[in-house]
Amino acid sequence: MVRKSKYENTVLDPRAALMLLFLVTVVVFAQQSLYLELALVAALISLFLYSGLFKNGLILFLGFGFLLALQYYIFPNAPQVFAHFFAILTTYARKVFPCIMVGMLIVKTIPMRYLILAMRKWRFPQKLIIPLSVTLCYFPVIREEIGHIRDAMKLRKVKGIAKAEAIFVPLIFSAANTAEELGAAAVTRGIENPAPKTSVIELRFRLQDYICLVVSLIFVWAAFWLRRGAV
Amino acid sequence: MSTTEVTSKKLKGKDLITIGIFSAIYFAVNFIFMMAAALHPIMWILMPGFIALFTGVPYMILASKVKKAGAVLIMGLISGLIYYATGMFTVVILITFASACLLAEVIRLATKYKSFTGNSISFAVFSVGMIGSPLPMWLFKDSFFKQISEQTGQGGIVSGNYLSILSNLATDGMLIVLILAPIVLGGIGALIARALFKKHFVKAGIV
Repeated sequence: MVRKSKYENTVLDPRAALMLLFLVTVVVFAQQSLYLELALVAALISLFLYSGLFKNGLILFLGFGFLLALQYYIFPNAPQVFAHFFAILTTYARKVFPCIMVGMLIVKTIPMRYLILAMRKWRFPQKLIIPLSVTLCYFPVIREEIGHIRDAMKLRKVKGIAKAEAIFVPLIFSAANTAEELGAAAVTRGIENPAPKTSVIELRFRLQDYICLVVSLIFVWAAFWLRRGAV
Repeated sequence: MSTTEVTSKKLKGKDLITIGIFSAIYFAVNFIFMMAAALHPIMWILMPGFIALFTGVPYMILASKVKKAGAVLIMGLISGLIYYATGMFTVVILITFASACLLAEVIRLATKYKSFTGNSISFAVFSVGMIGSPLPMWLFKDSFFKQISEQTGQGGIVSGNYLSILSNLATDGMLIVLILAPIVLGGIGALIARALFKKHFVKAGIV
C-alpha cells in the first residue's frame, strides 16, 4: 500500500487516475491492433511497477500472457467443446483487460476519500457521490458476508433452492442492518450538513499525472489513426 | 423511524447509504449473470430474464425502504457507471437502461411508492433495461456479426461455433423471448420478494 501518511499525496492524483480510466476505456473500444494492445498493457504494467505494486504487476503480466496463450495456442489445439465454451469469455476478458488493470490500480493505490474528493472537485452531485462510494466499499463486504454465511451453513445440509434462500436472506438482513447503522453514524458525523465540505487533503497534479495523461492521449490518437488505416 | 423522515420527500443521508448498499447487491447479482452470458449464447439472450428473477429482492427492499423519487435512478446510474468503468457498456444498453430507469421512476411516482403492484411493475420495466446488451444482434444484424467475427478473428481463433449458434438465435421469435423474459421473470422475482418479505423481513422489522 502506498498510504504513507494522511497528508501524503497518492502516486497518481485521483482525478488523473479517473481520467486515465476513461481514456483507457476509449482506447479499448476503438483499438483493433494487437501491437497497440500489447503496448497499452506494457505501459500499464510499467505504471504498476512505478507505483511499487510489483506483485500485482507480475500477476497481471502472467494473467495477460495466459489469456494470449489460451487464444493462440491452447484453443486451436484443444477439443472443440472446450474452445466453444470459453472462447468468448477469453476474448472478452482480454478486451477489457486494460480497464480492469486501471481499476485495480485505483483500488490498490487510491483510498476512497481521495476519490470522493476528486468527484467533489468535479462537482458531482452529493446525491451520487455518497451512494456510489458506499457501493464501492460494500463489494468486499458482500464477499466477506457470503463467506461467513457459508461457514455457518457447513454444519447443516442445505441444498438447492433452500440454499439460495439461506444465503440470500441473511445477506439482505446484514445489508439492511448496515444501512441502518451506517446511516445513523453518517448523520451524527454531519453528512446532511448542506455547507460545502472541507478536506485536509490537497489534490494537485504533478509531473507523473501529466505524463500519464499525455501518454494515454497518444494511445487514443494511435487507436483511431490505426483504425482509419485499416478501414 | 421518526416522523420527519417519513414526511420528507427529499433523499436524506440515510436513504443515500441504503441506496448505495442495495445497489452493491444488485450489481453483484447482475455481474454474475453478465459473466455467465459469455459461456453460451442462450445465456446471453436469457440474461435480462435471469437478472430480473434474482434481483427482485434487493429492488423491492430498496423500493420499500426508500419511498422517494430518485432511488431507482441512482441505483441505475451507479450500475451504469461501474459497468462503463470496466468497459462493458455499449451505447445501446446505455439508452435502454437509462430509459428503463426513468420509466420505472415514473411508475413509482404514479403509484405513490407504496403499492406492491406498482413497485412490481416498475421492477419489471427496470429489468427490461438490460435487453440493450444483446439487442445489437437484431438492431444492426450484419455489422454486428461482422464486428464480432473480426474481434475474435483478431485473437487468432475462429470461435465459429458460438457465432453460428448466435446468428441462428437472432430470429424474431427470440427477440420476443428476449423482451418478454425480463417482464415475466421480473414478475416472478417480485412475487419471490413478496414471499420472502412475508416469511422473513416483515417479522424482523426490516421493511
